[in-house]
Amino acid sequence: MTPTPSLELRGITKRFGHVTALNSVDLTAYMGQVLAVVGDNGAGKSSLIKTISGVYRPDEGTIKVDGNERAFHAPSDAKDAGIATVFQDLALVEVLDVATNLFLGQVPRRGPFVDRRRMERESRAFLDELNVTVANVRTPIGMLSGGQRQIVAIARAMRTGGKVVLLDEPTAALGVRETAQAADMIRRLRDRGNAVICVSHDMSLVLDLADRIQVMRLGRVATVRERAQTSMDEIIGFITGAVTEEPAKGVLR
Amino acid sequence: MSAATIATNAAKHPERSIDWGRYTQQLGIIAVLVLLGLVFQFTNPAFLSGSNLIELLRSATLYFMVACPMTLILVAGALDFSAGAVYAIGAVISGTMMVAGVPWPLALLAGVAAGIGIGLCTGALSVYLKLPSLIASLAVFFIVSGVSVVMTNGQDVYGFPEAFTNIGGGNLFGVPNLIYMAVIVGIVFHVLLEQTPFGYNVRAMGGNRAAAAANGIHVQKLDLILFATLGGVTALAGLLGAARLFTASPSAGGTAMTFQVVTAVIIGGTSLFGGIGTITGSALGALLFAAINNGLAIANVNPLYQNIFVGIILAAAVTIDQYRRSRRFKAGRS
Repeated sequence: MTPTPSLELRGITKRFGHVTALNSVDLTAYMGQVLAVVGDNGAGKSSLIKTISGVYRPDEGTIKVDGNERAFHAPSDAKDAGIATVFQDLALVEVLDVATNLFLGQVPRRGPFVDRRRMERESRAFLDELNVTVANVRTPIGMLSGGQRQIVAIARAMRTGGKVVLLDEPTAALGVRETAQAADMIRRLRDRGNAVICVSHDMSLVLDLADRIQVMRLGRVATVRERAQTSMDEIIGFITGAVTEEPAKGVLR
Repeated sequence: MSAATIATNAAKHPERSIDWGRYTQQLGIIAVLVLLGLVFQFTNPAFLSGSNLIELLRSATLYFMVACPMTLILVAGALDFSAGAVYAIGAVISGTMMVAGVPWPLALLAGVAAGIGIGLCTGALSVYLKLPSLIASLAVFFIVSGVSVVMTNGQDVYGFPEAFTNIGGGNLFGVPNLIYMAVIVGIVFHVLLEQTPFGYNVRAMGGNRAAAAANGIHVQKLDLILFATLGGVTALAGLLGAARLFTASPSAGGTAMTFQVVTAVIIGGTSLFGGIGTITGSALGALLFAAINNGLAIANVNPLYQNIFVGIILAAAVTIDQYRRSRRFKAGRS
């Protein structure tokens, strides 16, 4: 018997005028697993992310979180439902420091005021726990490199403790060591019991991390494969359209 | 893994209890103020007398009160050019009511409520019709100015009850009440911006609106609150000005006030691009304006020269600020 998915999309369709960005797309993500979503440019990955994170409202289809149907009217609704998104453009505030960014929109309070000391202490403890060495949580994000920012963004998603963590190209523009560190953080998310959805172009990262791989093509789901039962060649075949799913086994899990 | 990636930068910026970088511009304004003080004192020894300094402070108060919510608006990444018109209409509405026999506290509340309502309209134009706040507030500026003139036929309104005019004129320990009020308003807004979740959210929204929204900050609601606050405080400042002058004039405030307030805020180090700014900076900016005004007046310099000084100082302040900021953030832009 399969467990209830942490996140389940059924028949999601999103149109922009005459363009159908998502065409009856299904997606399931389970706790303690990494689902990788891959696909060429224009395959619908971005639209899918924006739908899950509440930026877009789908024209058709349902979204269930832990088996309960939800409607997202704004990103805050998705967040309240337990979906934390790490956007490709990072969604960090450059002029604010590391601690404030980690607690963006959820600053700890003491009475009507911000509990700055607690915020800095918890940021420090949290980053230490992740083995991310930030010498000063008061450093503005604008003074960090791209990789450092990415790590702060992932750390924030981990801190907010969403059941579902959605990562958009988590290793884009990262160096080798920073990519390894980001991959390590994604494993920690999975081991903590989060349902991780990772949208990425980086095939070696995907094959390294994913438990299941969902391939998008032209706004549809081309296939969903268990990592153990597929190969880089097969996945690339699905991405380019060289390989297609036989109708009979169209639904996996 | 134990990659100490973020340590590299931090090594160059060891832990500091106070981020002095935020205050360098303010120290600069203080230096300019001291310098001006010396020059004006040299030209007229009355400049640094107690009575003149109090007069100088008093002349800065009303603009400073408006500059406080204006600072929040700029920190939030928006602009509001309607302030000068709202300043006039609050007093015109309250004044007309008082002259018609409405009790003054009720009339005062009505004027402030009108300011809040106008602010909400500006906010609504910006939030729901997606007009840039600059355009929305400019439209509101013209509409509100027009309404003030139509309401009064362009005539000043006067004949207010003494209880009302006393608010704007009284003293306590030889210091005008207006100065105390401005200090209280300043402290409230400073705490609001620096210490409360509201202030943190406003700064986040100005720094990166999409990021703020994606992290569950209700940016549109904040917009409405900010514009409404500016409207209410500006109308109140207009009322205090009317109380002091015993007159509500439809031509009070106007473009001159709007520009002076925005300029004072920017000279004080608040960024036009959002996210960065302080109330203390705006206080210094307002003081600098008042000092130039006052000093040139008592030095018998033609007041027409004033704007030339202001323009030079504005250009210099923003140039220095941009240079400082580009140096500060260079590390991350590699």
